[in-house]
Amino acid sequence: MSKALQKRALPSKEQSLFKELLTLYETRQLKKGLKTAEQILKKVPDHGETLCMKGLILTNMAGRKDEGVELVKKGVRLDLTSHIVWHVFGLVQKADKNYEEALKSYTQALRFDKDNMNLLRDSAQLQTHLRLYESLVDTRHAILKLRPNQRQNWVALALAHHLNGNPQEARMVLEHYQRSLKNVPDYDIEHSETLIYYVNILEEIGELSEALSVLDSSAKSRSIVDRTSILQIRARILTKQSVPEADEAWRSLIEHNPDCYESFRGYFTYLGISLDESNPEAVTKLEEFVVQLPRASAPPRLQLNVASGDQFKKLVEKYIVKRLEKGIPSLFADLKALYVDKEKQQTIEGIVEALREEYAAASTLPASSDANLEPTTYLWTLYYLAQHYSYLSQPDKALSVLDISLQHTPTLPELHMCKARVLKRAGDYLGAARCQNDARLLDGQDRFLNTKFGKYLLRAGMVDEANSIFGLFTKKDAPSPAADLEDMQSLLFLLNEADAYRRNGKLNLALKKYIAVKKVFDDFEDDQFDFHGYNLRKFTINIYIKLLKWEDQLRSHPGYVKAAIEASKIFVAVSDDASIVSSLTSTSKMSDAEKKALKKAKKAAQKVQEDKKATQATNENKDPELIVPKDEDPDGLKLIGSPDALEQASKLLHPLTTLAPKNIDVWIAIYDVAIRRKKLLQAVGALSRAAALNPDHPELHLRLVDVKQRASSFPQAPPPPIGPVFTEAIAKFIPDDLSLETFNSQYLQKHSTDSHTVLAAAKALHKLNLPLADVENTAFTLFSPDVRLDVPTALSTVDFLASLKSSRLDEFRAQCQTTFPLSTVFKPSAELAPLREQVMLGSAPEPATEDTTP
Amino acid sequence: MNIRVAKVEDLMGMQACNLQNLPENYMMKFWMYHSMTWPQISFVAEDHKGRIVGYVLAKIEDPSEEGTTEEIHGHVNSISVLRSYRRLGLAKKLMLLSQEAMSSIYKASYVSLHVRKSNKAAIALYKDTLGFEVAKVEKKYYGDGEDALSMRLSLKNP
Ligand SMILES: CC(C)(COP(=O)(O)OP(=O)(O)OC[C@H]1O[C@@H](n2cnc3c(N)ncnc32)[C@H](O)[C@@H]1OP(=O)(O)O)[C@@H](O)C(=O)NCCC(=O)NCCS
Repeated sequence: MSKALQKRALPSKEQSLFKELLTLYETRQLKKGLKTAEQILKKVPDHGETLCMKGLILTNMAGRKDEGVELVKKGVRLDLTSHIVWHVFGLVQKADKNYEEALKSYTQALRFDKDNMNLLRDSAQLQTHLRLYESLVDTRHAILKLRPNQRQNWVALALAHHLNGNPQEARMVLEHYQRSLKNVPDYDIEHSETLIYYVNILEEIGELSEALSVLDSSAKSRSIVDRTSILQIRARILTKQSVPEADEAWRSLIEHNPDCYESFRGYFTYLGISLDESNPEAVTKLEEFVVQLPRASAPPRLQLNVASGDQFKKLVEKYIVKRLEKGIPSLFADLKALYVDKEKQQTIEGIVEALREEYAAASTLPASSDANLEPTTYLWTLYYLAQHYSYLSQPDKALSVLDISLQHTPTLPELHMCKARVLKRAGDYLGAARCQNDARLLDGQDRFLNTKFGKYLLRAGMVDEANSIFGLFTKKDAPSPAADLEDMQSLLFLLNEADAYRRNGKLNLALKKYIAVKKVFDDFEDDQFDFHGYNLRKFTINIYIKLLKWEDQLRSHPGYVKAAIEASKIFVAVSDDASIVSSLTSTSKMSDAEKKALKKAKKAAQKVQEDKKATQATNENKDPELIVPKDEDPDGLKLIGSPDALEQASKLLHPLTTLAPKNIDVWIAIYDVAIRRKKLLQAVGALSRAAALNPDHPELHLRLVDVKQRASSFPQAPPPPIGPVFTEAIAKFIPDDLSLETFNSQYLQKHSTDSHTVLAAAKALHKLNLPLADVENTAFTLFSPDVRLDVPTALSTVDFLASLKSSRLDEFRAQCQTTFPLSTVFKPSAELAPLREQVMLGSAPEPATEDTTP
Repeated sequence: MNIRVAKVEDLMGMQACNLQNLPENYMMKFWMYHSMTWPQISFVAEDHKGRIVGYVLAKIEDPSEEGTTEEIHGHVNSISVLRSYRRLGLAKKLMLLSQEAMSSIYKASYVSLHVRKSNKAAIALYKDTLGFEVAKVEKKYYGDGEDALSMRLSLKNP
């Protein structure tokens, strides 16, 4: 016996105790297991495997994780050639989501026990998770060799080859497998999935006729049971082969689900008829379906995309009248995609305005005179027009239409929601929230209306009120509405709340919420782990492959992109100005006035809670064993004070270089972080990427000024090889003989009617230390009649002037107010207090006037 | 609106839609689990921009795996449509597609679901439009104490 083995061997009593210990752990009898381990250790205190098992058990007990990990490490050191200790170490690392290290431990363990099924299976999962497909193939091979009788091991090997970029091998494995297959039960969904997978692989490697014949024979013998998949794959393959049978295949698919746009697109691609431009041939062909499938919604709607001129007018009129008469609230949402075509937009406006006149006249007649016309048709027409004018940024027209319709029917939530949207776009966030509340009060049972109101409250900066409104539908037993929404991974809530905090200057709380979004995505990534084993057992391979692809693209989601950029902006801001953190720390100790305000808000919120009976949630997701760790940093002050702020920002942005490379804001954010981390090449590289997307982007302009200023303030030129590359890259953006002042004024001249350009140029002037008066004068050119100013840009300019302590700030605000007469955001805060109160109360009821139009 | 089987890329949109519409919410893993186990029976409706505006999330229960004699059946876990897209027939179409897939792929003999006693819109959809019947009332089924109607529809061809 080797020394190690001698050390490992236990006396016979302890040996059986150890076996018991393993069983106790597997059956999750942790307390008993712990006792048993301690019993063994009393006799053999340095027994590595027992120490590891004890450690493993402790890591599963609340509050004893660190102690457990230490024990495991100690156990490993004491018995380096035991597969058990490495296995345990791997388990602990895996539980900690430290997948790379876990895989290393598993590999060690396999060195000492190479045929251990559990080790192999876990390794395969880790390799898949880490996308180490080459070694995955080896592991799957080893598993198959050990257990060739298990069906899933064959499929697993084929899949590993496939993922490793080798569909040919995958095909061979699957064919080998099918030859060896006996007695497939009739109607076996698992076998059916495997066959579809096989067909997909054949299609992928271009064996189209083989794929088709397998598909058809399996369909005939009912070995593939999923008819929709059969129809889809058939149509796709036949189209690739461009054979006439494709016609029939697409038609079957369309008949099966006539509301699926993809089927129509597939069919028309096969026919060689474009659905993406004006095309009378397509209109005619679609008409066949309109007649044949009268209930299908896709054909008539697709016709509107491809029709033009008089034909469009005729079709869209019929389309609109039918839906107004039916009272379909989503008509505008359905049609607004057509508005990219200005002519279509005007045609629609003409039609609906004419209808409005017609219906208005009819609605004043006695009810019996036009039996076909429901009074609601007139209402839906007004509703359509309101949305139409709001969309085209004509708030006055929209509001006057809404006033008429609200007099007609004050109880339709849609109208109030529409009014809210108009006011929001016009810069009256408080009025918008009030109207959203009006909508909600009309149907308190509807969570949709509740969510909308909460969102509008956040836009109006009323965070506490928003939370209590959200609380009407969150779980009663959750620590708070916000905690429930975060647990339930609501990106809508997290992002809107973060933005609200950011606008309110609570950067710590904003950052905390943006980072919570990042964590949601981390969880989504982790969520796939269990499926690496699960789907193989269930043979749901085809959807599983899609899962892997989706996970690989996960962080291209706009929610992640937004959170990463905003968080990194905050990290950059605090790294430029450490006083931000200290002032946040002192203000978060609330002033008396703030405490009072908070108390008041809470009271108001409570009243809402009492007024409305809340619809409460079940708690299906609650795991009683889940230990919720206490939040050590509820205010996010630690987070925002992180010494490695820029490194954190860099990590957040990193995935976006490949997942969102077309987003210019990503490259701007990457520049901001890189230049401060002295990563000069990365910084100018990001600027080049941004310039390639839009050389005149205002944020890019500011960064070009920034990089040039930084470069000229270096005490000495950065050394080669990086230095010269860096300097040359800058010279490409701004020639050496061009002063920054000139560069800036040239930029401004080039786009002097674009509000973003004007603001950027004003900011650049400030960066260049020009007199404040120059900066202000430039900012005020925003009001010249040829500049198209919008509310958000005006607001950013207000913030900018405020940061300069400009004496013309009030004047600027006043001009904004004139430019945006409906807005409230530019009003001094004293005027806002009563408006804010009104939000929670809802609009005052209109004084009843007699004899209004019905 | 485009109606089609739910894909993996839709799960986040479905989760978000559910959170806006209903008080019973689920973490992503739950949505994934359904999609990974029964990939063919959940459906979505999307708008012209590809935003999910409605969904039905369904599962199959196979009691024979637990040794009882009950039949294989489908169960609708959650269905909702964003308010601005309601009354277009989306929920009905989503349900019909799901029911068809349950029956043809999994040989489900009936489909079941729970609905709040007070949810008039949903009950009208199930009863009047789709032909469901109340199997029983489950007292205090929901977290806030409301009763549920447990409803069923046979999928066997008459
Ligand atoms: C219930 C819900 C899913 C219905 O969605 P929908 O797409 O609007 O429903 P459909 O357009 O397919 O309606 C089909 C039929 O259901 C009935 N129906 C739907 N909404 C109704 C309502 N508000 N009142 C009365 N009947 C209604 C009607 O019979 C309707 O047919 P009709 O329009 O020809 O009269 C939707 O209202 C919703 O998402 N509500 C909130 C979430 C919810 O309650 N989900 C159900 C949980 S069990």
